[in-house]
Amino acid sequence: MKRETQNILLILLGGALVKIAVNGDYLRYVKPAQQPWIITGGAVMVLLGAVAIVRDVLAARTKVAADPGPDAPDHAHEDGHAHSARPAWLLLVPVLAVFLVAPPALGADSVIRTEARVPASAAAANAAAFPPLPAGDVVPLPVNEFVSRAGWDKAGTLDGRTVSLTGFVVHTDGGTLLARLVISCCAADAFPVTVRLRGGEADHLASDAWIRITGQVVPGTATRANSYTPDFTPASLTTVPAPKDPYEY
Amino acid sequence: MDTLSGADTGTEPGRRTRRFRISSVEVLCAILLVAILGQGWLQQLFDVPALRTGSTVFVAVCVQALPFLVLGVLISGAIAAFVPARVLEKVLPRRAGAAVGVAGLAGVALPGCECASVPVARRLMGQGVAPAAALTFLLAAPAVNPVVLVATAVAFPGKPEMVLARFAGSLATAMVMGWLWARWGKLEWITERALRRLPDVAGGQRWRVFAETARTDLVEAGGFLVLGALISSALNVLVPAKWFGVLGDQIVLGVLVMAVLAVVLALCSEADAFVAASLTALPLLPKLVFLVVGPAVDVKLFALQAGTFGRSFAVRFAPVTFVVAVACAVVAGLLVGVA
Repeated sequence: MKRETQNILLILLGGALVKIAVNGDYLRYVKPAQQPWIITGGAVMVLLGAVAIVRDVLAARTKVAADPGPDAPDHAHEDGHAHSARPAWLLLVPVLAVFLVAPPALGADSVIRTEARVPASAAAANAAAFPPLPAGDVVPLPVNEFVSRAGWDKAGTLDGRTVSLTGFVVHTDGGTLLARLVISCCAADAFPVTVRLRGGEADHLASDAWIRITGQVVPGTATRANSYTPDFTPASLTTVPAPKDPYEY
Repeated sequence: MDTLSGADTGTEPGRRTRRFRISSVEVLCAILLVAILGQGWLQQLFDVPALRTGSTVFVAVCVQALPFLVLGVLISGAIAAFVPARVLEKVLPRRAGAAVGVAGLAGVALPGCECASVPVARRLMGQGVAPAAALTFLLAAPAVNPVVLVATAVAFPGKPEMVLARFAGSLATAMVMGWLWARWGKLEWITERALRRLPDVAGGQRWRVFAETARTDLVEAGGFLVLGALISSALNVLVPAKWFGVLGDQIVLGVLVMAVLAVVLALCSEADAFVAASLTALPLLPKLVFLVVGPAVDVKLFALQAGTFGRSFAVRFAPVTFVVAVACAVVAGLLVGVA
């Protein structure tokens, strides 16, 4: 592969990184804290490619002006690398994936593929980690925290309280679930937290439809045997647009 | 005439004639054109659940790892341009055995994950550092730096022994591999290109060498990082979830399966502690093995190493690292009392 092509690829790839970091699509792939890293990394990539192009063009000009190349040792070094650059074509794959395919956030398919787990923090926590829920008729909770409390909170802070959860619909053999994926770094390490819905309305929605439900937990239903999936009695259900930030952390 | 030669970029040095040949630039343009025209078809192709999940994971691994690789190549470029070989020779002990120890502890200072350490280790070799010491640094840096250790402490609250065991196991893996290499390693396994010594840099050229080294390293390693991401995203979709579920009781099987999972999932060393901690059915020892093996050897790293140091190096180095890492993790776990 020629130097020009390598530089173009670097600029394309760096540009792809900057683009998704700026327009917010990066939230489908990594956690929000990565944003400055992605922008910096992408910008450096673009810069390295652009500097090389500018220098090559300038070097070509001076070469036309005075033919013996003054910077011969530098280029000898580059030539040595030229033969090994074939894998560099692979840099095109993420460029095409980002610009043309633009894969969506993980959804129902990975919930079915992965066994539901309980968030790490909950497993080690004791009762002190679960303070009473704030006052109010309906308490909005992350699904993550709801599942943790349902499975591990011995004091029963959820019992008898109405909460509201936001997540997407997943249809499995065992019934209809409301699910949310939790990531700690990027989508490769995502694992689902799930709530089993008792009651019909969500059964008619397609998988991956985003909903907000209010209702109450059925106490004692989140056990190790069912991967800590509590049962939930929904009182109301509304469909909502998919959030920009689809994961919990 | 002037504009023509400028736009036409006679930039490739040593190009002989102006005959019309299809170069990689034209190939690239053709591929881009076809891909853009076929975008609808491409999106339809990826509208299968498994492929969609796989492509999301692939992009996620790339987006997550590339900034760290950029950090790595910048450090590599800085070493090439600003740290003359004789300075490194003065700082490191003459004996390879002692240099391995220093290199292992030096890993504490690079707060990144494994993608960053490969180009740095290669540049250290190029600057005349003993390969044993550079390889020790390669294995130690992603596992024992403060960012990773803090992440481990956060993922395992109330279990400081887990952090200690991870630190000890990973450092031991790196140093044992360094000493093994010093004793039995052969220089000819490493491709000549990785060992080539850059000439000492004259004062005025430092920034040019810095940019050029970083650029070349990025192009080379980036391709292999993408290859690793492709493999790990495929395995991420293909490995059945049941592997995690049935391991609660059998500790030996648990250790082995978690070691293999660490290799095939190729998680970032800053994230793997959270994944391990979320597997509530497992005892701590298999989790520790997962944390020690992952940063030392996985499919993404293997691809990067094969590309950087050569295939005949990688096929020898990776399996031995795997065995050593499992052994060190188990020993560290038993000594610290994790089990």
